[in-house]
Amino acid sequence: MPLIGALQEPITSAPLVLFIYLVLILTIAAALASVLLRNTLYAIGAFSATLALVALLYLTIAPFLLFAVQLLVFTTVSAALMIGLLRETVGIKESAVGPFSREWIIGAAVAAVLLALVVVVAAVTSWPIRVGPQGVLCCPSFLSAVTDGYRVALAIVVVLIGSAALGSGLMLASLRQVAIRTPGRRG
Amino acid sequence: MSIGLNGLLVASAALLAVGAFAVVARRNAVTTLLGTQFMFAAGAIAFVAFGRFTVLGQTGAAGHENVAGVMALFVGAVAVGELAVGLAMAALIYREHRSFAVDADRE
Repeated sequence: MPLIGALQEPITSAPLVLFIYLVLILTIAAALASVLLRNTLYAIGAFSATLALVALLYLTIAPFLLFAVQLLVFTTVSAALMIGLLRETVGIKESAVGPFSREWIIGAAVAAVLLALVVVVAAVTSWPIRVGPQGVLCCPSFLSAVTDGYRVALAIVVVLIGSAALGSGLMLASLRQVAIRTPGRRG
Repeated sequence: MSIGLNGLLVASAALLAVGAFAVVARRNAVTTLLGTQFMFAAGAIAFVAFGRFTVLGQTGAAGHENVAGVMALFVGAVAVGELAVGLAMAALIYREHRSFAVDADRE
């Protein structure tokens, strides 16, 4: 079965194409910011923004369920893990920037523009039904593909994630016990 | 104006490069972990792009419907698992050396 030889038609809907290009550029920019920023908290914020932008990209070209999982599970879990690490180690200081400062207003404006763009593109292209020659590809078929066709893989992923959660939890718990036994060393 | 497989693969490659830069060039354990996450995300984007623009994405194509999306889902799950373990190790490094530097034990 040829994979590359049967390329489907590219996306040509102007608002959708513009939106995808914008999301791609913002994704790369946020990833670069995350890598280059010295402040760990800001880097984590940029990282979460990158994952959210990847979710927006999924909204345009992937099944809707993948977008939902990426945005609601992967992004939130990753951000929560990162923030948890900061709280356990260096701590999180209260922000010196007030809630109505210029930075917040600019950020809110950018978020509002992006949201408006999502709404416009959603209205034009009738999401979550995918635009394309092959027709509709939405949640039910994707969910059944995961649960019916990939049971073993799904079980392996569950075991992997469970082991990771257990292992990291035990590691952190053992660290706490060491910290209690030797308080002077931990400051 | 259009966008197809090539555009998404270029973006995926750029994200992979950013992640590789973070892993190779930065000493901060947290930044290194972020880099690995970007590399996972780049792989997932490539999966999704191939699923959208090749016959893999066609429903009913030899039973491979949604295969790319499923793979992206699994890649994301594995990435989260890797992040959990990596962050625990970063916490270990910090508590031993009061620093996130991955080579802190050399000092």
